[in-house]
Amino acid sequence: METASITFITGGVRSGKSSFAERVALNKAMEIGGALHYIATSESFDGEMKERIALHRKDRNESGSSWKTWEQATNIGSVAFQFHENDVLLLDCLTTLLSNELFAHELDKSKPLLHKEEVFHHIWTGIKMLANNCNHLVLVSNEVLSDPIPQNEQMMSYCQLLGNLHKQITSIAKQAYVVEAGIPLLMKEG
Amino acid sequence: MHFITGGAFNGKRAWVNKNYQEAEWISAYKGELLLENPAILQSSKIVLEGVELWTKELSAKMTINQAREYLKKVIEDWLEWESLSSDRKIIVIGTDIMKGIVPVEKENRNWRDLTGWFYQDLSLRCERVDLIWYGINRTLKGSGL
Repeated sequence: METASITFITGGVRSGKSSFAERVALNKAMEIGGALHYIATSESFDGEMKERIALHRKDRNESGSSWKTWEQATNIGSVAFQFHENDVLLLDCLTTLLSNELFAHELDKSKPLLHKEEVFHHIWTGIKMLANNCNHLVLVSNEVLSDPIPQNEQMMSYCQLLGNLHKQITSIAKQAYVVEAGIPLLMKEG
Repeated sequence: MHFITGGAFNGKRAWVNKNYQEAEWISAYKGELLLENPAILQSSKIVLEGVELWTKELSAKMTINQAREYLKKVIEDWLEWESLSSDRKIIVIGTDIMKGIVPVEKENRNWRDLTGWFYQDLSLRCERVDLIWYGINRTLKGSGL
């Protein structure tokens, strides 16, 4: 399969995956003299989330580089046309994006109820659109599949889709890393 | 003997299928029982899939220590069967279920503990161990297939 200009990064909670992803994006932007964009998939409903997002945003901008933030809880493909070949994108994170997409109908009945295959296709298309409209795309996700899979249909679908998305991404990504206690392990280089 | 582990939906089965095309599969996911005596099968390559379901069953039937000793004995029987012919191999696939929050229920804690012990015992006795991470293998022990 053809490789895309994607770096895929996962890790557990507080593993340092987001900081590492920011460094990867920053280095790439410096290398090409490109602009940095941050695509946040968390919806800032509650106070704690708002605070975390603000802190993350402050950290990124205090690092001496300037990031433009896009809040995109669903439909990541819809912002793809905003970017061009000199942009470096960081999307954090896929686990949240998948739950936003998969459970959208449950939270808001006016949203259509999609089959899991449709959700997969929708997210995958969005990722490809982003990757095709920028210089480099950094994708961050979580390690959540090394725990017994909950025996209810929705969670099974969630885990299966997440695993399938990760496999599809590693198959085309240029690099893939898993971050353990702040240390990135290179799993794929190619 | 070759042990393959990794999280759920990470592509373990696809990787084993690709690397051991001629093997006969015994799958706990299809309700098949723990293979105690491989000699009842005709094939020289045997894949045992979903061993974490067998540890679940055992952990409900006996104490952790009894179950661990029993499984150690099973591992030795598998190795003995393998040793009788150079083309024989057992490939064991076990899903990693050990990296979540400690389960509240004792039976689930026991299951998880036994599974972790079993995987350590397997790794010790296997000539090769691979971790599968979203379709990518990382060899943790040994080399060659």
